[in-house]
Amino acid sequence: MSGVKTPSRRRVRSEVKTPLTPSLSSAFNTVSIESPIKRATSTSIPLSDAFQRQASGGVIRKGGVESRIDVVTLDYVPPPKSAEIKRSRSTPAINLSDRDRFITSRDHTLEVSATLDQMSLNAPSGSPTHVARLAAAAGVPLNRRILGYHLQPPSASSDTTLALQREFARPLYANRPGSLASSTGSTTNKTRKISTNPERVLDAPVCWSSLNCVAVALESSTYIWKADTGAVVQMGEAPAGTYVSSVNFSNDGAFLGIGLGTGEVELWDVERGTKLRTMAGHQAQVAVLSWWQHLLSSGCGDGSVWHHDVRVPRHKVMELLGHSGEVCGLEWRKDGELIASGGNDNVVNIWDGRVGDTAPVGGDNVAQGNAKWTKRNHTAAVKALAWSPWQPNLLASGGGTNDATINIWNSTTGARLHTHTTPSQITSLHFSPHRKELLSTHGYPTNAIGVWSYPGLERVAEIRDAHDSRVLFSAISPGGDMVVTGAGDESLKFWRIWDIPTAEKKSKYKRARERGDAERSAVD
Amino acid sequence: MAPTKQSQRQAITLKGSTALVTEFFKYAVNTILFQREVYPSDDFHMVKKYGQVVLVTQDLAVENYLEKILKQVQKWLLTGSVTQLVLVILAKDTRTALERWVFDIKLVDPPPEGSESTGKAEAEIQSEIRAILKQIVSMVTFLPVMQEEKVFNILAYTAESADVPAGEWMDTDPLAIEAGKSQQVKMRSFSTDVHRIEAMVAYRYEE
Repeated sequence: MSGVKTPSRRRVRSEVKTPLTPSLSSAFNTVSIESPIKRATSTSIPLSDAFQRQASGGVIRKGGVESRIDVVTLDYVPPPKSAEIKRSRSTPAINLSDRDRFITSRDHTLEVSATLDQMSLNAPSGSPTHVARLAAAAGVPLNRRILGYHLQPPSASSDTTLALQREFARPLYANRPGSLASSTGSTTNKTRKISTNPERVLDAPVCWSSLNCVAVALESSTYIWKADTGAVVQMGEAPAGTYVSSVNFSNDGAFLGIGLGTGEVELWDVERGTKLRTMAGHQAQVAVLSWWQHLLSSGCGDGSVWHHDVRVPRHKVMELLGHSGEVCGLEWRKDGELIASGGNDNVVNIWDGRVGDTAPVGGDNVAQGNAKWTKRNHTAAVKALAWSPWQPNLLASGGGTNDATINIWNSTTGARLHTHTTPSQITSLHFSPHRKELLSTHGYPTNAIGVWSYPGLERVAEIRDAHDSRVLFSAISPGGDMVVTGAGDESLKFWRIWDIPTAEKKSKYKRARERGDAERSAVD
Repeated sequence: MAPTKQSQRQAITLKGSTALVTEFFKYAVNTILFQREVYPSDDFHMVKKYGQVVLVTQDLAVENYLEKILKQVQKWLLTGSVTQLVLVILAKDTRTALERWVFDIKLVDPPPEGSESTGKAEAEIQSEIRAILKQIVSMVTFLPVMQEEKVFNILAYTAESADVPAGEWMDTDPLAIEAGKSQQVKMRSFSTDVHRIEAMVAYRYEE
């Protein structure tokens, strides 16, 4: 116990009186003025002259550090012979003489505390007085081990500024991925470095014909998968240097329209697998196609929609100009009365579908249609468009990442009937042919397929993470029960979303009703 | 009767004082970590201690880390083999010491045989501790702003003879600040019947 105490007492005294390092601030200067004197009295009495000389010499050689100079001058002050001799016990004078000489060897070290710490680690080799003085000055004790815990302190669990922001942002992420998802899709894609190219290639190229064939375009090739037989046929290649940007079957399923990245629209015979004609004219990629009988309408990257009459040599029979951005959604109504288009400019246009005899004879100019309704409610590109099969004047449109909203319009009055905000961007929409339901496919972050009831727009079902990447397109089977989805993860998936109402079921229902009637009549 | 009472009291005070000092370190370290923004401020929650509000980390990893260190410090305190605790704040990237918060631990001389021990009231000690913690808080006003990412390190200066748990504690660099570039401010101290804690902060200051 006492062995521990003695050094500590020594340190107490020296430190209390000389709390200063060289560059200490003014507050302590007042203290320093008197303290060295006191210390000098306390420590210097027992020292031999020789030691004092050496010690002072060692300190002088320290040079440069001003506080040392203070100490030096004070060391020269002749020690007043006072009654304080007792205190000197704290300096073990016995050790002094044989260790002094080591001071010289330490002169090269300029940094005081560094020197000091070295000394305190190798205490036996340093002059105790000198070290004590240094220790006093720097507040580092002598003859001590400096120990550190073997583990590094854990790093902060989160960044100082970001933690709070993340906290705030989390709910936003959940409801509105909008502002941060990039066009390259989910984050997993980024790490896997899937380029944006495949995404564009897969952007629209699937269609399910009424003859139960699925057309899929991959890069420059188009494949037909016959759902009945499972056979896959390659339709043909796009010209070198371009890619297929859109495919669409004619209503009867006999013809396939293929839109190319260079702006050509090709017409293929599905049965024979031959190309019938190429309709050129567009200056940019044909992002979307839609058929109505003999009219093949193409939405172009420059914002125009053309009606191609596939029967006549001058195929371009009408031009619809109403978008300032790329047309990425295009959908004919079943009866051909109206055609809806959605663009990258966030606009939904509904056009009169009648072409009639308005095509002018001769000249380069063609008839231009006027939009019946122009809707600017969406705040992102409108790629998803769907006409209701059971209520002809219903049009559903879904916005992209920043919008993520399904709007349902009445095409007769132009009124917006319903609005529903979904968790993520809407890539396609379909009305169920047999049920009052609406199917939507979504992108990042949910990558989901959602089924919504109409008119309530309540969620009937949701398949979260239907794909690893965002669901880019979907097509509904002619039977109305299956849905095929394709995604940025380069896979096609088939989902049985609805049942086909069978005759069996209908009769059962009828029977039940009849039974009910019978029961009721019996009650009556 | 008097001597037995005296010895009993001593035994209790050493333990009690050690606990008190250890607890003080815990809150002092937490206060420094919070005030010097070594950890994000939302990792801390408020705790009432010493009649004032103290911010204590609720990051489990940090909590456990401090716990382990303080446990060992407490052992050293009991044997009187630790003389100094230093909380060093380092720049994360360059690992240069920016601030050294030094706590000197001194053993108070036992009262001379036969004399009445002047036991310090707990309230008095607490008010001294409170004063130190408040001083730590007030230090922020003049300590230089540390822009870079920081980490901390706790060094224990122990006696040569101290029992050191192998593998857990090892001799390290003092992480000193070069003398020409450091400034020091002495802080308040507090003492129990057994220990006297003196606090000091040295910080890097370059003109």
